[in-house]
Amino acid sequence: MSSKDAKESVGVWSFKQGSFFAIALVITGFVIEAAFGAKGVFFPSWPFNLIILLVFSGNIVLAALLMKENSFVRWLGGIPLGLCLIIAMAVLSLFGGVLRQETGAGPLWARTLRLNGVFSSWPFALTVFFFLVNLGLSLVWKTVPFRSSNLQFVLFHAGFWIALACGLAGSADLQRVIIPLYEGRSTDRAYNSFSKTMIDLPFSLYLNDFRMEEYEPRLALYDPGKDRLEAGESGKGIGVAEGMAVSWQGVDVKVEKYLPLAVVDDGTGMPVPVEAGRGVPFAFLSGTHDGEPFSGWVSTGSPFEKPAFVELGNKLLVLVNGSPKKFRSEVTIRSGEEGGGRSEALEVNKPVTVKGWTLYQMGYDEKSGKWSELSLVEGVRDPWLPVVYLGFFMILAGNTLFFWKGIRKK
Amino acid sequence: MTWVEFPYMAYSAMVCWGMGSLLGIFSAREHVLKVLGTGFMMAGTAVMVVFLIVFWAELDRPPLRTLGETRLWYATLIPVVGFVVEYRWKIGWLKYYCVALASFFLLFNIRFPEVYDKALMPALQSVWFVPHVVVYLVGYVLLAASSAAAWHNIFRNRLSEGKDGVEVGHYLALLGFVFLTFGLVFGALWAKEAWGHYWTWDPKETWALIAWLLYLGYMHANSAKVSNNLLQWYLALAFLVLLVSWFGVNYLPSAQNSVHTYQTG
Repeated sequence: MSSKDAKESVGVWSFKQGSFFAIALVITGFVIEAAFGAKGVFFPSWPFNLIILLVFSGNIVLAALLMKENSFVRWLGGIPLGLCLIIAMAVLSLFGGVLRQETGAGPLWARTLRLNGVFSSWPFALTVFFFLVNLGLSLVWKTVPFRSSNLQFVLFHAGFWIALACGLAGSADLQRVIIPLYEGRSTDRAYNSFSKTMIDLPFSLYLNDFRMEEYEPRLALYDPGKDRLEAGESGKGIGVAEGMAVSWQGVDVKVEKYLPLAVVDDGTGMPVPVEAGRGVPFAFLSGTHDGEPFSGWVSTGSPFEKPAFVELGNKLLVLVNGSPKKFRSEVTIRSGEEGGGRSEALEVNKPVTVKGWTLYQMGYDEKSGKWSELSLVEGVRDPWLPVVYLGFFMILAGNTLFFWKGIRKK
Repeated sequence: MTWVEFPYMAYSAMVCWGMGSLLGIFSAREHVLKVLGTGFMMAGTAVMVVFLIVFWAELDRPPLRTLGETRLWYATLIPVVGFVVEYRWKIGWLKYYCVALASFFLLFNIRFPEVYDKALMPALQSVWFVPHVVVYLVGYVLLAASSAAAWHNIFRNRLSEGKDGVEVGHYLALLGFVFLTFGLVFGALWAKEAWGHYWTWDPKETWALIAWLLYLGYMHANSAKVSNNLLQWYLALAFLVLLVSWFGVNYLPSAQNSVHTYQTG
């Protein structure tokens, strides 16, 4: 047997051990779930998560440095076990990717094994735990003694270790709350939907104005019998514009006039354009239905204006509200020491940070649409975020180096 | 040009690729035919490039939102990978797999047409939109090509003869993995801005992670000197998971509350 063959046979053996170990871990996890009512894993919160993390990483470093020659430790930090654990995580995630992840969802076997909450289950936790051990050991071996040729390896692997370990440990300290805001009112209370409790915020929010912009409304043919909207054959899903033509089977329509904001004049009964306020979109249509000419106004309507439509046989030609384009809440934030408070505009993708909380525009009263006086703001407090981001940026740096240095097959 | 004209453009591109492939495969040593074949191949891709540019201009936003729109990009870019590989590494066969894959995406779009929609919902109106999607797109394109190379190696069983096919598939997979990693982390950073948390186990995120883990597994299997034959099967099949993560997710039970379903109509 040549030395290469010997090496490979050892490789096969450690793969066998690795797969056996990974499968045993997953089965153990499932047994725990089935035996204890599928309650899942809870990580303790501050400061215990930090203590556990420090003890855990300290032990990994010590084992890597002091027991380097121990064949079990070498196996524990080796590629074969790492690969088996990666596959185990992928397979467990597969359950999470296929089955609905919600308490009480899914068939009995899924509920018993907590496959409806895989990512907080014992099999997943055990796999990730040993994966972190594996990754940590190999990381220490590549870092001590440090060689610049290992920089890419260290950045990528350390970044992954930090992001994964701190993300999981920090999840116990993550707070996500919903703050309902009404126009012209102030609040400093928020609802935590996870613990189902109200909490006090270290600041108060006053909603000056909630505003929403919509895309242009669309023409559609409504079938009351089937309660179904049919978009036209041509110009599907395009916002209404003057001069545009849309057709359905037997129906040809042209938009003669379009008023983005108008109200019906009480005297004439005709829509007249207005600046803003309570105006709604109106369109004057003309066309033919089975060869017969027709014309009339259509409008989306609002809580204050009745919708207008054109009857075509047993169907209705209607104007449907465009989808939301932008919504924003103009708020005044007041916290203890500041007197007047600061004015901010919350928008989707544009959060604002105050006293460790990040505030996000989340939603509104969808039934009222742009007339909503309610704005839902989400508050998130995640003290571990900077560390997780450090991990992310290390991964990105390692990745960039990998790309830059070129990729060589050994 | 919109989805209305799309089938004509798509069929023109496919006819060009088909002619190019036939000429390329049967030209033997006839230089003129080979050049003509290459011309047809390029012309097919040029048709798609023109369509994409005009489509983008008419939409007034990057056509990167719906799955059908991203399939347009794959159909345009996958053959380009094949051309680049031929130019750089003098490996001609990959482009035939690439145009076949591209034609599959085009036929899929013709068979399942989409609503033509200009609206871009607020969550997508972000500076992260283009980098996140483009990086993923490039990653998927490279991994699709690596999978094509792996299938080629399996069918031709060239593993014992030349290492060309193996190396090309390997490089494409590594490059693809780099882009997948960028896409995943960019996605996390964007999710923090838009939805308040960088990771919420949304089904799309979960599937992106599964695909990433599988390619991470490939890299380690390669380092651990797993046999080439196994590695080719691994690469060939890993792409199937990538396909689920990219357009199968919407049809799974887990996707009922996903924030990643942007399809309308």
